[in-house]
Amino acid sequence: MPKRRDILAIVLIVLPWTLLITVWHQSAIAPLFAIRKVCHHLVKEILIIPERLTIHRQRLADDGTETRHDTGPATDSKEYCSQDKDIVEVVRTEYVYTRPPPWSDVLPTIHVITPTYSRPVQKAELTRLANTFLHVPNLHWILVEDSQRRTPLVTRLLRETGLNYTHLNVETPRNYKLRGDTRDPRIPRGTMQRNLALRWLRETFNSNSSQAGIVYFADDDNTYSLELFEEMRSTRKVSVWPVAFVGGLRYESPKVNAAGKVYGWKTVFDPHRPFAIDMAGFAINLRLILFKPQAYFKLRGVKGGYQESSLLRELVTLSDLEPKAANCTKILVWHTRTEKPVLVNEGKKGFTDPNVEI
Amino acid sequence: MRMRLKLKTVFVLYFTVSLLGLIYALMQLGQRCDCRGHDMSKDQQISQLRGELQKLQEHIKTELNKKTDVPKIYVITPTYARLVQKAELTRLSHTFLHVPQLHWIVVEDAPQPTLLVTDFLAASGLTYTHLHKLTPKDRKLQEGDPSWLKPRGAEQRNEGLRWLREMGAAAEGKEAAALEEAVVYFADDDNTYSLQLFEEMRYTYRVSVWPVGLVGGMKFERPVVEDGKVVRFHTGWRPNRPFPIDMAGFAVSLRLILTSPQARFDGDAQMGFLESSFLQHLVTMDELEPKADLCTKVLVWHTRTEKPKMKREDALQKQGLGSDPDVEV
Repeated sequence: MPKRRDILAIVLIVLPWTLLITVWHQSAIAPLFAIRKVCHHLVKEILIIPERLTIHRQRLADDGTETRHDTGPATDSKEYCSQDKDIVEVVRTEYVYTRPPPWSDVLPTIHVITPTYSRPVQKAELTRLANTFLHVPNLHWILVEDSQRRTPLVTRLLRETGLNYTHLNVETPRNYKLRGDTRDPRIPRGTMQRNLALRWLRETFNSNSSQAGIVYFADDDNTYSLELFEEMRSTRKVSVWPVAFVGGLRYESPKVNAAGKVYGWKTVFDPHRPFAIDMAGFAINLRLILFKPQAYFKLRGVKGGYQESSLLRELVTLSDLEPKAANCTKILVWHTRTEKPVLVNEGKKGFTDPNVEI
Repeated sequence: MRMRLKLKTVFVLYFTVSLLGLIYALMQLGQRCDCRGHDMSKDQQISQLRGELQKLQEHIKTELNKKTDVPKIYVITPTYARLVQKAELTRLSHTFLHVPQLHWIVVEDAPQPTLLVTDFLAASGLTYTHLHKLTPKDRKLQEGDPSWLKPRGAEQRNEGLRWLREMGAAAEGKEAAALEEAVVYFADDDNTYSLQLFEEMRYTYRVSVWPVGLVGGMKFERPVVEDGKVVRFHTGWRPNRPFPIDMAGFAVSLRLILTSPQARFDGDAQMGFLESSFLQHLVTMDELEPKADLCTKVLVWHTRTEKPKMKREDALQKQGLGSDPDVEV
């Protein structure tokens, strides 16, 4: 029937035109996709913007009970970039609470190597450690997780601190004691992670580069004063200083003679070790690490307390050591340990919401 | 018939043209369209924004510590002499140094201010008040007592409150107005605080609350919020307390403290009731202001530091061979 044909004809004419128009519209804003990406990136970068400095105020959450405007938590930048809004209207989406000091071209960089592993207090330890590091100029934090892959908790934490960091991971294989074998074949905690960081440094920096750097091994539960980092910055080979709360003493310290040279160790626990010093008690110049590329912490067969010696004996002799902290008379670092929290009320099923990150 | 033929041809032609147009448009999708005019304005805006960002970052650096128009946070920290005291205060001060408009009130459990704390505070770079108040012997924990036996820090916190009330009574004019907006927080020296926490508590009208990690034998304790109001508390231990919340889980506005002179911590309170003894004079549960994303984020952790083992040291001291006692640790 002609009528049906007419209708059919009209439909078939209109259809491609509508398709065409929609496709044209899409293609017209395709280049804006690229702009949208930039918008996302910038929005994520717009950091500390206290109330008064925002370009355009906007309430993030409509909360009826609030009588005052308070700094809301981060919202997704998608809200602001998805529509073709005026980009200038973008407001803070991620509130950053502080920034490290500006990078100096003159100061040697301090590469702080911290091994870490997942446990309930991990986020707390890393948080307060980061709060300390944020005061130190030219600090590069190398955080190495003892895990199969990098965890989102640590990834997010590192990003939010604003520190200059490198995030690595290596899992320590869980060995068990061989029956009848008196040697403990277990690898001491943190060794593989520290070695990985040393390897990363050797792969990233070459000996010819003029990048001055100091390498320091900082465990995530110790306490560091800000003065310590300035003391270690002038290390030429390996510098040493006292550490509190190690070896069952108030502090352990190197013995320094009148000429300012280290000649022994003021410790009770095996003072005849080549280097009777805690991991937190020394720092190494990066050049020395690069110059001796085969020097690593020994993985197996290391007696308790000899870990530090296993590395240091391949790098320096006792007479090369530089005493810091007023000729090793001031305490600038404390080997604190955090109690393991008692989680009895969690029960077998876990009383608290597992989705909340602690 | 001629008409029909014409229609068919027209139709076919039409269809072909549309199809070609469609293909052309699809190809255009893969490349940038030549809408320069539209792009320019966006590019300009982006570079403007970048410039603004730079300016802001510079501005922030200089403004952070000069910020005078945000409410002040008074942090009351009771402390007592023990081996790890200096270490705890050191790392705590590193956190506080990042928080603008923070006034640290350190109250020592001692008959007079100690040299260690005096020197430490002077070198810290923070705005501080150094007080001291000795806990009476019968309320003090003895060596070997478990930490939960007697509430600790009550006298010191009350001393901090007393100082604040004294200051509040003496202030006038602009100072008094600033005090109206200030907030008081009780921070123990061994806990861990994130920087976000302080911004959450800064705008408190009466009493604000939030979750605390690693406390009460659980991963975290928190107030349960429904429709923006606290309806109960999620805790594994004695949830029937008036306020089953840890000292680190709430902040009080200074105005409320100044207008409630009878509110203080009861040093004789039962285990776990110290916070309730203070808060029940100040608010009811439905007046609490939930923070930290309606009490779903953990921004403070009730960490505890191990007591360092000093067996060797003690043995050596008896022989007169211990580490130099003149060296401050």
